[in-house]
Amino acid sequence: MTTIALASRLDLSQVTPLATALRGAAGADLVLDASAVTHLGGLALQVLASAAKSARQAGTSLIITPRSDAFDDALAVFGLSPADIQTGEAA
Amino acid sequence: MATDPMAEIRASFFIECEELLESLQDALSDMDEGSHDNETINIVFRAVHSIKGGAGAFGLDALVAFAHRYETVLDELRSGRMTITPDAMKLFFQAADFLQDHVRAARDAAPPPEGSEDCLVSLEALIGGGAGPVVEEEVTDFQPMGLAFDFGPVDEAPATPVWTVRFRPSAALFSSGNEPLHLLRALGKLGASSTTCDLSRLPPLESLDPESFWLEWVVEITGDVTDFDIREVFDFVEDVCEIEITSGAAATLPSGAADFAMPDFGMPGAAALDLPPLTPDPEDPVPVAAAPAPQAEVIAIAKSEPRVEAPPPPPFVAVEMPAASGNGPAQREAASEPSATVRVDLDRIDRLVNLVGELVINQAMLAQSVAEAGLPPNSAVMTGLEAFMMLTRDIQDSVMMIRAQPVKPLFQRMARIVREASSAVGKEVRLRTEGEATEVDKTVIERLADPLTHMIRNAVDHGLETPEKRRAAGKTSEGVITLSAQHRSGRVVIEVVDDGAGINRPKVREIAISKGLVAPDAQLSDSEIDNLLFLPGFSTADQVSALSGRGVGMDVVRQAIQSLGGRITIHSEPGKGTRFSISLPLTLAVLDGMVVNVAGETLVVPLSAILETATLTDEDIRALGPNTNVIHVRGAFVPLYDLGAELGYRAPKSSYAGGIVLLTAQENGTRSALVVDSILEQRQVVIKGLQRSYGHIPGVAAATILGDGQIALILDPPDLVQNASGRTRSPAFALAG
Repeated sequence: MTTIALASRLDLSQVTPLATALRGAAGADLVLDASAVTHLGGLALQVLASAAKSARQAGTSLIITPRSDAFDDALAVFGLSPADIQTGEAA
Repeated sequence: MATDPMAEIRASFFIECEELLESLQDALSDMDEGSHDNETINIVFRAVHSIKGGAGAFGLDALVAFAHRYETVLDELRSGRMTITPDAMKLFFQAADFLQDHVRAARDAAPPPEGSEDCLVSLEALIGGGAGPVVEEEVTDFQPMGLAFDFGPVDEAPATPVWTVRFRPSAALFSSGNEPLHLLRALGKLGASSTTCDLSRLPPLESLDPESFWLEWVVEITGDVTDFDIREVFDFVEDVCEIEITSGAAATLPSGAADFAMPDFGMPGAAALDLPPLTPDPEDPVPVAAAPAPQAEVIAIAKSEPRVEAPPPPPFVAVEMPAASGNGPAQREAASEPSATVRVDLDRIDRLVNLVGELVINQAMLAQSVAEAGLPPNSAVMTGLEAFMMLTRDIQDSVMMIRAQPVKPLFQRMARIVREASSAVGKEVRLRTEGEATEVDKTVIERLADPLTHMIRNAVDHGLETPEKRRAAGKTSEGVITLSAQHRSGRVVIEVVDDGAGINRPKVREIAISKGLVAPDAQLSDSEIDNLLFLPGFSTADQVSALSGRGVGMDVVRQAIQSLGGRITIHSEPGKGTRFSISLPLTLAVLDGMVVNVAGETLVVPLSAILETATLTDEDIRALGPNTNVIHVRGAFVPLYDLGAELGYRAPKSSYAGGIVLLTAQENGTRSALVVDSILEQRQVVIKGLQRSYGHIPGVAAATILGDGQIALILDPPDLVQNASGRTRSPAFALAG
């Protein structure tokens, strides 16, 4: 189980580091700590959703917990629920 | 990002509101006078409805809530389920007043007016029960603001519109600093919305290129939203995303819309102009573009930023249209007819007025130099100059006309003052207005509001008697205040007339004596007593009432009128009423004047004040008392004033035989003769106010710059005469010296 803490502002500048980190952890069960997230941008969302998709295909789990209110709020605005970008059982 | 356009649209919404409120007042007045036809009622309904719709778009909840409940009651009226009674009319008027307050409060971000709830409750009692406070869903349940709704006024309101927005950002959207999160959030604020995110095209992480973007959203918005509102959200990202706005729920979209293929998604900018058409479906329940043809166009000049594509229809176009159906009451005045209008910033007009003023001065200078060059009168230069002068005059007239506005809105405000004042003191008062179409300079209108308000309140509070007293005096219990405007001898005369008891002269005199304003043994004529009302600190109210009597009296009114270059006179008949006349210049910028010479000084006398000029002979002049003379003109005696002496340029002459007099008239019809040394010419002069630097100078209205660059005072003959000593004989001067 690998835990990655997400940066607080997931905007354009954080997308490539985020994608790199997630790719580096591919194949393992992942927990993303989104407790510090104050802003979730569209590109970062795309990376997270894409990572969930890959994990789903690989049969590994990807859990985002804990999540800040801002994170959940942004997800709702994007018309998504946490389940859409997670996969596998919460530990 | 979109703050500026929003502020502009907001500002124009409030301007529209003022127009709607005006038409609301008009229609209510028509109803009050017995026009109960559908068209009139519909105008009322439509005005309230449009305000509500627009307010909804701007999230002005208090205004929306009030308008909604008002509208609900009006809807009962419109559908014929309630009848119009005098009491109902009163409440409708009151509600209209509150609506106006709400609009102003919303505009100034002030707290909503107090007491509107009571008004609504009374209003709702009329229809039994009431609409109840508006609930959250209802707030959004509106028509788009003022668009094409209501051309079939009795139709049922169309169903709540639903919009489907497909939004696919390109990578360039991010690199240009935008963020779909904000856009989606803004969309969500437009109305009840549901957002779905399409992840189907998203590649797995391994093959994800962070430079591309694969998500797209479909947002369904329900509520009082227009195509324009939605498009505005995407105002700055139109070229970096794909947007498709369709009316109706997503499920009802034509199948083609679902294809929604984007040619080259990876290349930012390539999709820039490949936007789907803006117009909604033909079956769209909210036919933005389907308004009937005869629409007046309101162009907001300030709002001229080019857009990437054809701009959506201006949001408030329909507002000027209601009267266009033409089957309203026949007496509807020309002023309220819809016509093409252009909104121009007042500053620009003022600059134009100023420039024209300079043009007039310049032209006068040119004329002077041409005259000095000694060219023959029929030379080409002279002929050209004459044509130039006529042109200048035409330009000037036209420019002045831009600033002129009918006094109607001002009078409508006064109607409200009457309603409020009369209910505050428990009197029944009807306001009659005459000459609403009379046009006056905009500044004059604006600055008249306060003095007129004061005068109207005075008329209600002091002028009119209580209903009991009126009945005892054999009058109808309802008092009548007449507010009229008309053009008279180059000026605008505005009168406030009440049919009350008239001025109680013994009481006025008594108060003036007790306040030390006049000597106890002073012999005062009726009109002198009446004029005591204008003395500072004079107040006849025995008790300070809520309306008047706080010591801010008619002196303030007079000051305000004078600062506009106007005069106020009073005329009262015991038992019959009181008449206040305000006489104002038509414009504050230019006047036709007679340039005269007095004791070596050049002065300008407004032409409008001059009846005739004459040369005096010895026989014309008669002595009256030790200091004064009168002249005999056309069978009447007219007091003689020496301008040179009155203005302190010289001592009165020993003889005025052979002198030139200007016969001037005052508003009350009395005449006076002003002696001048010579008449130089007659010409247009540009008024340069002195008020700002010197305050009011008795007898002097303003100053001007003549063609030779010299500064000349513009006289105000009636004011001059009022303050004149009338000394036209030397002995008095010798004594005074």
